[in-house]
Amino acid sequence: MDALLPLTGEDLARVVERLRNPKPGGKVEAATQFGVDVTLLIEQVKLSPADRARRMHSLAMAAESVRGAATKTKHEL
Amino acid sequence: MNFERLIQHLSDSGVEFVVIGGWAAIFHGSTHVTNDLDICYSRDKQNLRRLAGALAPFHPRPRGFPDGLPFVWDATTLANGTILTLTTDLGTLDLLAEVSGIGTYEEATAAKKSAGRPKDLLMLPELEGLLEASEDD
Repeated sequence: MDALLPLTGEDLARVVERLRNPKPGGKVEAATQFGVDVTLLIEQVKLSPADRARRMHSLAMAAESVRGAATKTKHEL
Repeated sequence: MNFERLIQHLSDSGVEFVVIGGWAAIFHGSTHVTNDLDICYSRDKQNLRRLAGALAPFHPRPRGFPDGLPFVWDATTLANGTILTLTTDLGTLDLLAEVSGIGTYEEATAAKKSAGRPKDLLMLPELEGLLEASEDD
């Protein structure tokens, strides 16, 4: 299995270009029509795999924190 | 879920495993947030001992298991099951001994499709889009 490495240089530019301007009838276009926010994908692929995970982990923690606060408030009412 | 600490600890303990599921998708660029860590591990006896020893300090128990019901966590428990859905001090962890589709990203995407669960199907357009965008010329 190949190692998962950060995208750099021409590889990154190619991926970003394909996400920004999907080929007609392709999977990226289908994803866009499905409702996937491709701009978020572009931000993710610019990061290293480790930083992608750290970013999503941070978001998960923030969501958990908000959910905890909401639950606490609901119980106090 | 302290996934980074959990993965680091398993690696430092010499456990042979691969990250699968939602976190693997995130490594590839997915924006779906997941709360549990799924790993596929080697069934080699030595690896089972390492995995059992590595997780023991974090008090693994089957999710939904009644409080107070005795549960023995050791290599034998691991050897007796192929799917364990656990809660630990570091978060929820799913241990899978056998998963179809382990290997390439394409195979993993195909496995999600064949699983047919709504939560998997919802991720497919994004994963397939990322796959297409990442293909070599």
